[in-house]
Amino acid sequence: MPCNADRASLIRSSGDDLLSVDGAGPADCQALAEQLRSTGDWLECVAGIDSVVVQFDTTTLDTETARHRIEEELRICRAASDLVQAPLVEVPVLYGGEFGPDLDDVCEQVGLTPDELIELHTGCEYRVDMLGFTPGFAYVGDLDDRLNVPRLSEPRVRVAAGSIGIADGRTGIYALAGPGGWQLIGRTAMALFEPQSEEPFVLRAGMRVRFTAIDQQHFVAVTK
Amino acid sequence: MTIQITKAGLQTTIQAGPRIGLRHLGVPTSGAADPLSLALANRLVGNALQAAALEVTLYGVSLRFGAAMHFALTGATARAELNGQAITVHKTMAAVAGDELHVAAFDAGARVYVAFAGGLVADDVLGSTSTYLPAGFGGYLGRALLKNDRLQTRSISMQPEVIQTPEDYQPLVSRTWALRACHAPETSLLADPGRVFDTNLSVGSRADRMGMQLEGEKIDILSNGRMCSAPVFPGTIQCPEDGQLFILSVDAQTTGGYPRVGQIARVDRHLLGQIRPGDKLRLLWRDEKTATDELRAKVEYWRAWLPTISSVI
Repeated sequence: MPCNADRASLIRSSGDDLLSVDGAGPADCQALAEQLRSTGDWLECVAGIDSVVVQFDTTTLDTETARHRIEEELRICRAASDLVQAPLVEVPVLYGGEFGPDLDDVCEQVGLTPDELIELHTGCEYRVDMLGFTPGFAYVGDLDDRLNVPRLSEPRVRVAAGSIGIADGRTGIYALAGPGGWQLIGRTAMALFEPQSEEPFVLRAGMRVRFTAIDQQHFVAVTK
Repeated sequence: MTIQITKAGLQTTIQAGPRIGLRHLGVPTSGAADPLSLALANRLVGNALQAAALEVTLYGVSLRFGAAMHFALTGATARAELNGQAITVHKTMAAVAGDELHVAAFDAGARVYVAFAGGLVADDVLGSTSTYLPAGFGGYLGRALLKNDRLQTRSISMQPEVIQTPEDYQPLVSRTWALRACHAPETSLLADPGRVFDTNLSVGSRADRMGMQLEGEKIDILSNGRMCSAPVFPGTIQCPEDGQLFILSVDAQTTGGYPRVGQIARVDRHLLGQIRPGDKLRLLWRDEKTATDELRAKVEYWRAWLPTISSVI
């Protein structure tokens, strides 16, 4: 969907200073958000799975003017090739054990052995659908249907940075420690947050991701 | 210029301005839960309105001044003493080395702000020195303050003059709140919007920097519980399938999977930081234009005392 001539009807109010623009899935939403962000007109442009919400400064801009400006900015055709060229990031994961406390449970839920699960999880390329929830938390889609499990009914109060969880058809990567309800299958040795860097989070929406399985020795070597 | 924490209280953190323009990276707004009170405290000691100060939650904090220093208290209704003598809030106070400041439990409101001339030295992460507790960054080592922590203030070239917030600019803090709110994308999923807007609501036992749970009879929502994750903001009112409303605050996550049934209007969002468990609450429905006009009127009103108010609320 490179052109946006008919977006106008898909803009809805989300509050006095928030407008929601419907998108056609995560990649489309990322592209819309990126396009709006690049104008510098908005306080926030946040992509969800099927919508983008724009926050604007109502002391200088009223809702109607903001709505027209969004329509105007989206009228310009987008370069459809932008996302195809996204870089591929390899995420090394130590699966199971103390770093993947839910791996055995997940295997039982889906009827696979740990080795089969790891093979499935590392067997294809994914895309970062969005960052959200907590700083740098990456929603990585889409999982093989055989790995579809729900979130934990009781979220953990604290999940370590680098944790890899799965839930609702996606993999979640915890860039920072925090609360979390995804079923943890492993942990990456990669540093995902570089606070003083211009791009503080290594993973960005739109990036391609491939998981690789590493062993304890390798994990220790990488984190040293 | 040091300040030593002698009693940390329930949750005392360093807070300053918000983090803006990073929500697409999952970085929450963060910053002072009640940014207006932070600005008022900073104004009294001659600081920039969003300089780093202490945010004290629900009950007391005690600290000792390591040097002569001006400071000021704003926010929740609390009794405070300097060396055992009651002090006035909303007024520039002077302390000397060795003085002890003690803030007692609050009568109303959830947060007291203590600003110091010069502002506190704090970790600058992702565009603000505010502490973001869930991920442990900003402020003082990314955490709530503990007994014996020593804080530094920035040096100043001139002592602030002693002033008082004019009475008309001292916000009322009570246990009953009226917050103006607009509809949100999933408001239409409410079986009866009259159960959310323009009715009496109560705040449950959980009310923190992430948000507050409202309690009461289950609110019916026409949702299958499988909504796609969508962007949320401070002030977003969620209605999960259990029918208990939750209002997000400054530290809330950036996306959520629950129906968004309302949005606290910007004009009243700063009040969320003073609401505590057990408070009574009404959400006054406003259309977007009215809410915008009311924000502009509020900004106009405050400009005389806080010239850069529009960047604060």
